[in-house]
Amino acid sequence: MSLRKLISIWLFVVSVVIAGMGFWAIATQAQIGYWTMAGSLLIISLTCYASGIHHYVTKKNRKSFLMLFYGSVVLTVAALSIYIPSVVDLRPWEIFARIPDHFFFSMFMVVIGVLSSYLSFRPFYDYKKEGAQYGAYYLLHISIFFTLLPLFIIIFNIITRGMGGITWEFLTEDIVRMGEDGGVYPAILGTLAMISLTAVIVLPLGVGTAIYLAEYARKGLAVRVIRTAVNILQGTPSIVHGLFGYAFFVLIVFNGQKSLLAGALTLAVLTLPIVTRSAEEALNAVPGDLRDASLALGATKWQTIKKVVLPPSLPGVLTGTVLGLGRAAGETAPIMFTAVYFSGAGTPSSLFRPIQALPYHLLSLYRLVGYRDVEGQAWATALLLLIIVLGINITAIMVREKYRQRF
Amino acid sequence: MIRKLKELFKEEQSCQRIEMPIDKKMLVEDLDLWYGKTKALKNINIELEENKVTAIIGPSGCGKSTLLRCLNRMNDTIPSVRVEGKVWLDGYNIYDEVTDCVDIRRKVGMVFQKPNPFPFSIENNIYYGCQVNGIDVDKGGVVERSLKQAALWDEVKDRLDENALSLSGGQQQRLCIARALAIEPDVILMDEPCSALDPIATAKIEDLIDELKEYYTVIIVTHNMQQAARVSDYTAYMYLGELIEFGETTQIFENPQEENTERYITGRFG
Repeated sequence: MSLRKLISIWLFVVSVVIAGMGFWAIATQAQIGYWTMAGSLLIISLTCYASGIHHYVTKKNRKSFLMLFYGSVVLTVAALSIYIPSVVDLRPWEIFARIPDHFFFSMFMVVIGVLSSYLSFRPFYDYKKEGAQYGAYYLLHISIFFTLLPLFIIIFNIITRGMGGITWEFLTEDIVRMGEDGGVYPAILGTLAMISLTAVIVLPLGVGTAIYLAEYARKGLAVRVIRTAVNILQGTPSIVHGLFGYAFFVLIVFNGQKSLLAGALTLAVLTLPIVTRSAEEALNAVPGDLRDASLALGATKWQTIKKVVLPPSLPGVLTGTVLGLGRAAGETAPIMFTAVYFSGAGTPSSLFRPIQALPYHLLSLYRLVGYRDVEGQAWATALLLLIIVLGINITAIMVREKYRQRF
Repeated sequence: MIRKLKELFKEEQSCQRIEMPIDKKMLVEDLDLWYGKTKALKNINIELEENKVTAIIGPSGCGKSTLLRCLNRMNDTIPSVRVEGKVWLDGYNIYDEVTDCVDIRRKVGMVFQKPNPFPFSIENNIYYGCQVNGIDVDKGGVVERSLKQAALWDEVKDRLDENALSLSGGQQQRLCIARALAIEPDVILMDEPCSALDPIATAKIEDLIDELKEYYTVIIVTHNMQQAARVSDYTAYMYLGELIEFGETTQIFENPQEENTERYITGRFG
């Protein structure tokens, strides 16, 4: 085994160990000291230098400069990581106040480790195409890893912190003393009532629009305008939906009274584009052959849609709707002006009365942190909301997989 | 807008009628068709014999399938298509303003190039046509009769409630034929029904066509000249949107009048 390969393998091992340490530190919220970080970076940069110099000595070409450059970058970072904490107080990062100060270090170690491990494939490039091949695969795996990493961190964090707060009392009682005691029972019921009502409103509207767009409308200017409008609606920030709901539904339609119905209508406006687009895609996925076959048997267009096109696309339509509802269940901005009170609304009793809902409960508790002892309740609420939203999404995916039609 | 209002208030018009020549089922008269600005069919005139098999042959893109789809107004589903001319079915013009194309398609059935059974059970596939047309028949009876006519009964009689997509390609195509037969049309249009099938399935369908002509008028588009020679009584040869020659199959294949036809049939192009 050549020296070059040995250096590469050493770099790979070291960088994987360092990335692993960083990940472990993130997951367990352990603290990584400045010197651990600087030391590991130093090892990486020295290995990179060794690799680059060895490459230059044996091959006499300039490819090795990449390694030297990378080694220098890591070395600089290592130096800064020792220097910066002594002059900059990291505490002002209030936005990450709930995350340990050393979160950045941990994250940084993961990034550096992963990058270095990719670069350790570099020296193989010269004599083997496979080196490049493995390197490319590895890069793809890394990108998958980084896509999933935030998800796992979020779930892990919320579960570990919120688990303790979920008790029988929490699930079955109303708020007591501004959320220091008691639970979120009315808020759970409120959220469920709200999304059910939203579903009832949005399903016929969205599916109707989708049927018109996919089946009846000629592909001309009108369809393009409608589709663009739907897309714009989807891109609108949810707070704008909330203000619209307040200005239109609450102030004009319901005479200034926040209500379950006003919130559900606002959420319906928010989810309408999601439902419409997914339903349209599901309808378009039904092959044109089947429409032709039905028409050729003397069926009318509506009979064709009702009996041939809709049944196989129904799972897709429902999945889209449920995913849209999953988003609606977690939204705070559209309901905070239109439907919810933090406390006092009680369990939902009428369409025209305000309710309590989990996302707004969470927001309110978050505002109270520091003034009252509600942190445990807030994490428990977050976990409950996560469970509801994930549950909705998983149900949707399972329904789709079970009833998916293949043609 | 105004035209639509006028149509709305127009008195019920009776359909144009002509006397059909004896033994003829359909007449195509001066038929032109445009896809947008491209003229795809140029002045087609053809007389289709009752209870006979007529084959339409010609090189790719000559308008065979387009002509076939004109005969039950399937081209209406394509927005850019414009048709001029008349097609007479039993003395009625199917392109008349007052004709409902749903009625036409009930009388003129169609089998497509790719087998396209609905993703329902086999018996519901057959019964679908009766259902949408409001034909009140015994479901079991119509299923059995159509499947027997399409020579599929013995293969599927024990699994009528299975999904039609579980059948093989050839069986699916015969199911599509059975489905078209269930509503008892007068004419059956077949658009290259065997092009997606293997030789054994093809032979079965060709035998079937031979049996069908006892009850139905069959018009078949095919790429395969041997197939046209085997199954058809009359043959039409088309080239670049024009009908070059039409006559009895034996005459077209043994003694073509046009040079173009002869060159195509002898395989010098196409």
